[in-house]
Amino acid sequence: MRKNRIHHIIRLLFVFFCMNVVWYIAYLLMNHSILPSPFAVYNAMFHLGGQEIVLNVGYSLFRIFAGVVLALIIGLLIGLLMGRSLTWNKLLDPVVYLTYPVPKIALLPVVMLFFGLGETSKILMIMLILLFQIIISVRDGVKAIPENTYDVLTSIGASTVQKFWHVTLPGALSVILSTIRISLGTAISVLFFTEIYGTEHGMGFFIMDAWLRLDYPEMYAGIMLFSLVGFVLFLLVDFLDYKFMKWRGVQR
Amino acid sequence: MSNSRNKGLVIKDLKVEYKVGQLALGQMDLSLPEHGIYTIIGPSGSGKSTLLRAIAGLLPSYMGQIFFNEKSVNVKETLIGLVPQNYGLLPWKTVHDNIQIAMKISHTASISKQERENQINQWLSSMGISDLADRYPLSLSGGQQQRVAIARAFAILPTILLLDEPFSALDAITRETLQILFLDNWLAHPATTLFVTHDVEEAILLGQKIIVMPSNKEETPEMIDNELVFQMKHEDKRDSVDFFEQTKRIRKVMQEIW
Repeated sequence: MRKNRIHHIIRLLFVFFCMNVVWYIAYLLMNHSILPSPFAVYNAMFHLGGQEIVLNVGYSLFRIFAGVVLALIIGLLIGLLMGRSLTWNKLLDPVVYLTYPVPKIALLPVVMLFFGLGETSKILMIMLILLFQIIISVRDGVKAIPENTYDVLTSIGASTVQKFWHVTLPGALSVILSTIRISLGTAISVLFFTEIYGTEHGMGFFIMDAWLRLDYPEMYAGIMLFSLVGFVLFLLVDFLDYKFMKWRGVQR
Repeated sequence: MSNSRNKGLVIKDLKVEYKVGQLALGQMDLSLPEHGIYTIIGPSGSGKSTLLRAIAGLLPSYMGQIFFNEKSVNVKETLIGLVPQNYGLLPWKTVHDNIQIAMKISHTASISKQERENQINQWLSSMGISDLADRYPLSLSGGQQQRVAIARAFAILPTILLLDEPFSALDAITRETLQILFLDNWLAHPATTLFVTHDVEEAILLGQKIIVMPSNKEETPEMIDNELVFQMKHEDKRDSVDFFEQTKRIRKVMQEIW
């Protein structure tokens, strides 16, 4: 088990190293300032103030977190309602069906008009991206729990809250986690868009700022840091999956 | 005398329809004294499971009444231990947590944490599954899962114990081991028990009385006394004359009403 994990990390590091080699070769071939060498970029990265990095990464992470949490709360409520009650499903299904294909990023100007250029519009955009996917996956996840899973708890008089906590939520969690994993990529891309206006913090701002100043090493350093944010978020979802989905992976 | 007659589980005019006019369970009238173990045998579709679900409070509606000691079974004091055919364990909880959660929900705050842990360990060891406490149900065999389900049902100290063909998916040897284990535990904690089975031998081995359900829902079920076999030592039951006689008798009843 432990050996496997070490192998996995070594493989990842090897791939990372190879990508840098390819980058370096491309740099040598191009020999132009728009593609600095990896060394110049890492050098720029280490010369960034620690405080600056923490501030920008912190802002980006905060916006993502706020968006995800908000989407989870609303999505869980609506998804549960649709999964457990036929009437609500009939009522809300057309709404979800009609709004799901709307490209949410196209709503960015609308959200900016309604909620201004501040934090609210940024967090709302991320929430919008995630919300519909979460609603649909929670509904399907809840529906997929066999009705008789509740029987024993019902017969000993469990309350609705207890049934939600011990059956519905853990039963739907695996679908919720994979939905978050899938939509996280989109959410991070949208975060970039929202950080190029009305803010002086966040990785999106940082990258565009470096670009405007023609400081390409720093721009690339920003892109790498931004990728790191995405990577950390993925690791977090993996960790949650490992922690809460142990029961699934232990087939005889 | 009339008082003692109303003791135990009393089912009056019970009738269940799944759709209007479509009977799932015909007229049932049963009076089952407390601390008894009753096996129910019947053809599929005769409403055995429906009867258990009605008592367990899992049906949205039924006609008639179900009392335990003159109180409706749907009140909180009548605690029901259910062992469904598919074991009914929560796959995302460990063996230990499955039992713990059932105890927590059924006995809100009445015992200390330490006391509860002791009881869980005791039940796990009496079902022979102490070493499985931290395993998840999906990693267990059918027999092991059923041990957990039975341990959980006993652990909440139920007034009524309902088992719906608990051993039917198990192989013969596992089934016999579990029958003995179940009976031993039941003798130590004799809750009023309804045990549904489709196996005539199992019905005779485990029941004090045997209820044979008719295939025609308009007829009333037949109740057969089985005290003679029940009083024997479990090892001797199968080879006894009484067991053989009882088998013949039940098969005859089955031929008449199925």
